[in-house]
Amino acid sequence: MTLFDVVFSGNDTVYGLTESAINDAIAKYGADKAVAFPDTAYSLPCYYAVTGTKVGNLGELKEALGVVKTLMTREQKLNDAFMSGVATALCAEFIEVLKYIDGAAPYEAPCYGHLGDPVIRELGVPLVTGDIPGVAVILGAAPTAEEGVALVKSYQAQGILVTLVGGIIDQCEELGYKTGANVRVIPLGKEVTSVIHAVSVAIRAALIFGNIKPGDAAGLMDYTMKRVPAFVNAFAPLDAVIVACGAGAIALGFPVITNEETFKVPKSLIVQKDVSKFNATSLEARDIKIKITNIDIPVAFASAFEGEIIRRGDMQVEFDGSRVDCFELVTTKDMAEVEDHKIEVIGPDLDGFEVGTKHSIAYVVEVAGKRMQSDFEPVIERKFHSYLNCVEGMMHTGQRDMIRIRVSKETFNAGFRLKHLGEVLYAKVKSEFAAVVDKCQVMIYTDDAMCTKLRHELATPVFDKRDERLDTLTDEGVDVYYSCIMCQAFSPSHVCVVTPERLGLCGAVSWLDAKATNELDPQGPCQVITKERVIDERIGEYEDVNEAVKKFSQGALEDVSLYSIIEKPMTSCGCFECICGIEPLSNGVCIANREYAGMTPIGMTFPELASMTGGGVQTPGFMGHGKHFISSKKFMKAEGGVKRIVWMPKELKEQVAERLNATAKELYGIDNFTDMIGDETVAEDPETLLAFLEEKGHPALSMEPMM
Amino acid sequence: MPFTGKSGKFSAKINTVTVGTGDKAITIGGENVLPFYTFDDAIANAPKVGIEITDGGMDNEPECVKKYYEGCSTAVDMAKKAATFEGVDFLSIRLEGGDPNGENKPTEELVQILKDIADAVDLPLVVCGCKNVEKDGELLDKASSALAGKNVIVLSAREEDYKTIGASAGLAYKQIVGAESAVDINLAKQLNVLLTQLGVNGQSIVMNVGSAAAGYGFEYVVSTMDRVKAAALSQSDATLQMPIITPVASEVWGVKEAMASEADMPEWGSLEERAVDMEIETAAAVLASGSNAVILRHPESVKTISQLIKELV
Repeated sequence: MTLFDVVFSGNDTVYGLTESAINDAIAKYGADKAVAFPDTAYSLPCYYAVTGTKVGNLGELKEALGVVKTLMTREQKLNDAFMSGVATALCAEFIEVLKYIDGAAPYEAPCYGHLGDPVIRELGVPLVTGDIPGVAVILGAAPTAEEGVALVKSYQAQGILVTLVGGIIDQCEELGYKTGANVRVIPLGKEVTSVIHAVSVAIRAALIFGNIKPGDAAGLMDYTMKRVPAFVNAFAPLDAVIVACGAGAIALGFPVITNEETFKVPKSLIVQKDVSKFNATSLEARDIKIKITNIDIPVAFASAFEGEIIRRGDMQVEFDGSRVDCFELVTTKDMAEVEDHKIEVIGPDLDGFEVGTKHSIAYVVEVAGKRMQSDFEPVIERKFHSYLNCVEGMMHTGQRDMIRIRVSKETFNAGFRLKHLGEVLYAKVKSEFAAVVDKCQVMIYTDDAMCTKLRHELATPVFDKRDERLDTLTDEGVDVYYSCIMCQAFSPSHVCVVTPERLGLCGAVSWLDAKATNELDPQGPCQVITKERVIDERIGEYEDVNEAVKKFSQGALEDVSLYSIIEKPMTSCGCFECICGIEPLSNGVCIANREYAGMTPIGMTFPELASMTGGGVQTPGFMGHGKHFISSKKFMKAEGGVKRIVWMPKELKEQVAERLNATAKELYGIDNFTDMIGDETVAEDPETLLAFLEEKGHPALSMEPMM
Repeated sequence: MPFTGKSGKFSAKINTVTVGTGDKAITIGGENVLPFYTFDDAIANAPKVGIEITDGGMDNEPECVKKYYEGCSTAVDMAKKAATFEGVDFLSIRLEGGDPNGENKPTEELVQILKDIADAVDLPLVVCGCKNVEKDGELLDKASSALAGKNVIVLSAREEDYKTIGASAGLAYKQIVGAESAVDINLAKQLNVLLTQLGVNGQSIVMNVGSAAAGYGFEYVVSTMDRVKAAALSQSDATLQMPIITPVASEVWGVKEAMASEADMPEWGSLEERAVDMEIETAAAVLASGSNAVILRHPESVKTISQLIKELV
């Protein structure tokens, strides 16, 4: 017998029962007898939603059964099985509604039976907001009452709404487990047909909250599939009727998890022999994410502690990457390789170290998610600094394998141990990166040999690969750029176009950051900009980029170039790290950084330059940019690139020297280019600067005039 | 060469939203020209003026407003009285007593006041929360439920609680969702997008894009409203075509011009006059910048602004 045959036979059984029940009722009451569920404006909600037809009396119910019959096709195909499942569910609804004839109250405590519209409106709001992250339908009796109650309890603890049908209700009663709508554990009824009351909730949620029109069966199924996070846990033994009902659930998009060895349908009918794993399996199958609201540590966690310094005398223990092998790492794994919320400490814990000593530590946060990309790893990792510093009595500096962590005596005495470090990372990563991280586990190593080994074999290759990726990430090598309009609150028409080689002018938003921001917050400030229709390769102008800039600036900007300071330069908000401006006498540009307080050869200080450049307007000859952009091969590419740079404050020059020299060497074969660039110790006026440049033979002097 | 005037009407228009039910229902929005540009095209619906009372009743009113409510003892009495003032198009009830950091009145008590008011007056209603995100989630949810069928504006859904308010007011009980953002066109737009993605009908959203009393960073308000209307009309941006409602009273009655006593500031003259002036100036300015409705407190301000609108539209 195939799975289809089981569904069909279950469907036939239920259909037969329904037909005779309706016939009996008509014989008893007559065809005009009214049938209705109490407290609902949706007639027989399931039938009404699927067909758009309201049923008012027994005669109409009989007609409706005829319609149901047409769903019961018998080809050995998936759709036939699904439709038979739906037909089974509708039959169950008919059987149930018959119980309510004459305003009867067929269910008694603790069972609820049919749930009225007000309950759905009330439950619907937290369902839409995600405060109720899912709906569990538990069907049948667990192998033991204890296991059943443990399962109910596990869902309840996660805020999931639990509905119970059949033997599980008795099991809860047997152990005195409290049920009721107020605790979000709702026993529906002991017969299998009462499962329709759970389906009815899902369907009315679609009608009320999804604006689904009754009769739009396809829209309905799409809504329940995408928006109603329900799933079914069906305990063995499964009979044909339950399997047929299950097919109906699957048709609505609700996976069925069972402990009976039966047919398997990927993502829909899942066999999990271990009842204690029903919870995890169900959540994964339905893609339900539990909101993490509190971090389970014995000390406070707040941004107020972020700047806390822990002095040597107050320190319980220190981990120092500059002396011994330490590192922190985020790494992406397959879903099956990650056990959510697993935190493992390998090596001695904090109480295994002498007070005031220095040790190795390595913590690897292993994440898995359908939308996770390895490009997000450094973005997540960079947040660790802030997360760990927010712990009271914990200090974290550096990143990668140059981290240093101190834990204070007070925090240690409050009971803080390494697993709590894992708790913090777990909770923050899961809540802040919920859009991409589905599962997360934390491995913490303090064993010296282990740390050394992992640093060299695991971490270093990853860091090298990332650097290589950053170095090889070019504007030409990617398909899209990103907008960033984070600053529009005070600079309404400014739009940053962030490319791999031109980061946001604030210096804080790289192309990878923008990409991650877009993924995490699709409606947020970073939107995808395509770059398919090039207008002018030389200055970096694209039709698509212009359209985006026009849209995001609300029409204030028509066109920008990515690589020119003269022709349609990109605008600046006011947050630029640096300003670059033309110095006409030397045919080059001067760059001033925000920290520089003195005069520039342009004759303006940084604040004076800023007043010219900011405000989201195009100012040919001036542009704001990030420090990192100075050594980019795309820096003023249209005007000849970095060899136009004639002056920078000394401090800035030192910061960018290594990378800038490398770029100059690669592009023009110039060695030690920064030696040719003036600074405030050489000149603060154009004449002296020019004399210096002539002495050094600066390439800008022999270039084409910029204007 | 003769001068030929060119009409500045746009092909796009602001959404039309009806508030309340029955004869007293009001309609805002619908215009396809800039604010009060009646020479470009007829303004579909004149801006509307609402009067604000609070759950605190008389205790909460400034002295100069109290006299207009003489004889009233409860918020319901005040609502009935307010409905008789000249120029009042709708009634706004601010449930500030619900604030957990203030009186922390229970939700049931506040909702009961709302129900009593809804039974006593037939004007369209605006329900304003207490500003506390968590309490508003509960309060405005229950308020939406209690006023089901009354087609009220629920102020407000913010970025922090738009899901709860949107799902409750917008989806479950089919009220009008007031989307509140803090003087930033992008945040206003983002909130509208999020609400519509949640399933709320864009035609059932009005915006409170934020306000300030005139002179208190007000240029940001003007520029935001200008740009919202420009994007809605000239760029046909459907995510910004929601009408704007601006609660002026809650801004104005907290600044020193409306609060400092005559004893403290004798050179400023009558407290009532300057408070009313401040309210009228702010309201006139937000209307000129594009608000489709304003919420005021002093009956004289309501009357004056209402006359101003009549003269201009």
